[in-house]
Amino acid sequence: MSQSPVVRLMDVSKRIGGRTIIDRVSLEVYPGEVFGFLGPNGSGKTTTIRLMVGLMALSAGDIQITGHSIKNEFPEAITQVGAIVENPEMYKFLTGYQNLLHYARMNPQVTKHRIDEVVELVGLNGRIHDKVRKYSLGMRQRLGVAQAVMHRPKLLVLDEPTNGLDPAGIRELRDYLRRLAADEGTAVFVSSHMLSEMELMCDRVAILQKGQIIDIRSIRTTSEDTARAAEQVAFEVDHPDAALGVLEGHGTGRVEDGALLVTADRSTVASINRRLVEAGINVYGIRVKSKSLEDQFLEVTAGETIG
Amino acid sequence: MANFWKLVQNENMKIYRRLRTWIMLGIVVLIPLLFSTLAYFTSANHASSNWSVMTFESTITFILVTVFTVVISADSVAGEFTWGTVKLLLIRPWSRSSILLSKYLSLLLFGLFFSAVTFVVTFAVNVLFFGYNGSPSDLGPLWTTDPWSYIALYYLYQFISLVMVVTFSFMLSSAFRSGGLSIGLSIFLLLSGSIISGILAVTDKPWVKYVLFPHLSLTSYLDGNSPIPGHPTTLGFSLSVLAVYFILFNLVSWTVFRKRDITA
Ligand SMILES: Nc1ncnc2c1ncn2[C@@H]1O[C@H](COP(=O)(O)OP(=O)(O)OP(=O)(O)O)[C@@H](O)[C@H]1O
Ligand SMILES: [Mg+2]
Repeated sequence: MSQSPVVRLMDVSKRIGGRTIIDRVSLEVYPGEVFGFLGPNGSGKTTTIRLMVGLMALSAGDIQITGHSIKNEFPEAITQVGAIVENPEMYKFLTGYQNLLHYARMNPQVTKHRIDEVVELVGLNGRIHDKVRKYSLGMRQRLGVAQAVMHRPKLLVLDEPTNGLDPAGIRELRDYLRRLAADEGTAVFVSSHMLSEMELMCDRVAILQKGQIIDIRSIRTTSEDTARAAEQVAFEVDHPDAALGVLEGHGTGRVEDGALLVTADRSTVASINRRLVEAGINVYGIRVKSKSLEDQFLEVTAGETIG
Repeated sequence: MANFWKLVQNENMKIYRRLRTWIMLGIVVLIPLLFSTLAYFTSANHASSNWSVMTFESTITFILVTVFTVVISADSVAGEFTWGTVKLLLIRPWSRSSILLSKYLSLLLFGLFFSAVTFVVTFAVNVLFFGYNGSPSDLGPLWTTDPWSYIALYYLYQFISLVMVVTFSFMLSSAFRSGGLSIGLSIFLLLSGSIISGILAVTDKPWVKYVLFPHLSLTSYLDGNSPIPGHPTTLGFSLSVLAVYFILFNLVSWTVFRKRDITA
């Protein structure tokens, strides 16, 4: 990408009491990108986020947000950041609105009008003047999102934001984050261990294990890529063995669970289908058997215990 | 940089939007009322000196005001850690020092507000009950003509010791992130002064003059005494000792709070 990254982690390490919790983590998140941070429990996601927002001091390396070091230029760096770290904890004895007012006062850009706007956005209008004590977890999560986006940050950091949200809420959040990235060019950094969630939400994911990044990969592929890429496809047919015979000379396949499995790109899939039909074989269904991120994730971290 | 006053406004909101603050205020108003009523019905001919009842009630109420300020102070920093809100508080374009300062100022304002209420209530109630005609000499042998200087100095000295105790609890609150510990030790500091002065009085060592506890009772000077019996000191000396501890406590609060990793 040609743009400069919104946030840049450079060989970031964190040691606590002789234990290395984060080990030389480097990554970059670009404007308009939704970046997933995946890892099993205790892998160091929250710790990395604490380092990114300056709640913890780095043991080595540096973190730059829009070019400002979180170590040496904290106010300049943090003013570009909105975040929820771990749970969206709020002052329970204040109302939702007073909580937002509290954070709004700390940021000169945020007007009263903007507060109303974000309240509307997260769908808390009806309950915003209730005490947070009376909020459900999902409502607090929404309030957390509201305080995080209120000052239109260039970088939005959310630690397990879908925690406590109902399916509709998760979908809303996902759509909102994607819109925020697309329309306002916000870089969104989301941690999670909900793999399928990440798959739907993110452009790229980093997989973290024991404080080390073991893989960074793209998720969202363009439709052209999809057209060209060969994927494993399952043909549900009435006579799989006969079908395998028809395939002879046009590619290799195998029979599994009563279906014919072939690795092919889109146009080949179409031509195989035609051949099968011409050979008098009934095709009941064609499914792309691409590996879900979950399979990949479990594969990469296979057999590992927590920590 | 935005307006620092807004940070203090935030801290005030977190203090005064809680029911308990208003219960505390209610108690501070009620205590003098209660004592004056009692004094009115038990004294001969319903006559007492408004000055002596006022200082008596002020002494008691000031202990309460100090305890209340300590409670608020303990929550001010430690509470943010217990609630987890410190994570959202510290990711704003403000240095940790500014945020700590806003908290400290809001506490001093709270103490000042409650002291002012104590002053107004104890004065008004007693003038109401006993009239404005007590003899100034009721206040002490040195103040036969001028009750207002005595009262002003009395409140000033009490406020200084309140600031000391609150600074101490603020330090514990930010160093240990434990509200309970902060409240407990501060109340110990507040109440053990006279006992410790007694022990120190019979200790024949030069360093006893530099122990913090006795110097919290600056009001001894109003009666021509010094805080540690048998170890004569001047007001200026006591204030210097307090100043040294004041700087020390604040140094600890600020150093710890600025450096610490937030793991709440
Ligand atoms: N204050 C601390 N002192 C010592 N070790 C810590 C501290 N905080 C976290 N750790 C350790 O650091 C590691 C990473 O913890 P972290 O909370 O970052 O994990 P996580 O990926 O967010 O896990 P989860 O998915 O459960 O939220 C863990 O092994 C944990 O025990
Ligand atoms: Mg975590």
